[in-house]
Amino acid sequence: MNLADFGRFSDPALLILSSLADGPKHGYGMMTDIETMTGVRLGPGTLYGALARLEGSGLIKAMAAQDRRRPYQLTAKGAAALREQLTILQKLASTGLKRLAAL
Amino acid sequence: MNARDWLIQLYPRAWRERYGEEFDALLEECLHSPLDALDIFLGALDAHLEFPFEMNWRLMNMVNKLRTSILIVFAAYIGFIVGGMSFYGLVDDSPMADLMKARADMPLFAAWTAVEVGAVIALLSVVIGGLPLAWTVIRRALTSSREDLRWLLVPVFAFLALVLYVMFMASIGLGRLQIPGVVPVVSHDNFPLGNRLLIGGFMLVFILGAIVSTVAVWKIISNTNMPESTFKILGREKSVKLYEYAFIPAVVATLAMLLMLIATIIWGWLAYSAMPQVFAEHWGLLLTSTTSSFITTVAIMLASTAVAFFGVARGYLARKMA
Repeated sequence: MNLADFGRFSDPALLILSSLADGPKHGYGMMTDIETMTGVRLGPGTLYGALARLEGSGLIKAMAAQDRRRPYQLTAKGAAALREQLTILQKLASTGLKRLAAL
Repeated sequence: MNARDWLIQLYPRAWRERYGEEFDALLEECLHSPLDALDIFLGALDAHLEFPFEMNWRLMNMVNKLRTSILIVFAAYIGFIVGGMSFYGLVDDSPMADLMKARADMPLFAAWTAVEVGAVIALLSVVIGGLPLAWTVIRRALTSSREDLRWLLVPVFAFLALVLYVMFMASIGLGRLQIPGVVPVVSHDNFPLGNRLLIGGFMLVFILGAIVSTVAVWKIISNTNMPESTFKILGREKSVKLYEYAFIPAVVATLAMLLMLIATIIWGWLAYSAMPQVFAEHWGLLLTSTTSSFITTVAIMLASTAVAFFGVARGYLARKMA
């Protein structure tokens, strides 16, 4: 599964997967974690748009609701997709930094 | 309707059924600015337009419809039990009971046995189908949902009320408690108004208890948005698709209800042929007419079976459409 297939939701999806790599979280938990991690605040509509796509693709899984809040956790497929995506980003960052250094 | 409700209503129904409650909980904490409202508006628009996820929502719709179908069969089964108890009461107190005990009329006995076999099959089906669902609901209620826990207490209190009432009746029957106008032992010829009220009270407690318990179970299961649950059986974890699993026992329970209905009608016809005078007398519940009591019983069973078949057909179509 390529996160690029998510269109405008591909970046929020990557942020959500990265947040869930730390353990299961519900919507508000992900929102605050992502904000702390990257300084980006996802809007509620964007968060759930990406969340629905991730769940529909089997990259994350819903857990039992706790007082109306439902935590989500990363699936094995989601962990693999996140690893693949972060490796690409790592290569990109490393290449970009090398090129910048040569300037 | 507040702003949050209004914003959630912008999403498609299937989306709301799946995410509505948790999304509302999220908005409680983070809906701060018009920009958030705009983001939700765009999210709702996307949910309406995004076709690749139609299949996923169709699947969610299937789960929701299947859940409602199973609840319909469960409610119909409770209704059937009320009819079944009325039937048992009719036979137990009448001269037909002796006829069946002596097995003098084999076809009549066979029809009665078919009703009993149907009752066992239906009960087993409901227990087998409902057990994983009940376990999930109880586990969830005890660990996470106070609201569900409150609903869960309803059947417990309904059952306790019934037990207390039976103890009250037993105290009168054993002569430990005396109430004017109520005799400890009744017979067909000596059935005072006080005793009729006492038994009527039992029926009222039972039927009210069955109704409120059914409503509570319906409410809890409707709240349980969990199509799957994991169970640890003999040290191994097993994931069960709750509603798909429960659908087959629900079909079996419905067929068992049909068997009981047909067997009851045949039994009535045979009993009428063997003892027509009993149907002209008053052996029904609370000494009402035997014929009208039997017809009411069959009507309750027929209505319950029809409702159960409706539930099964709905579930079957939902599975087929998914």
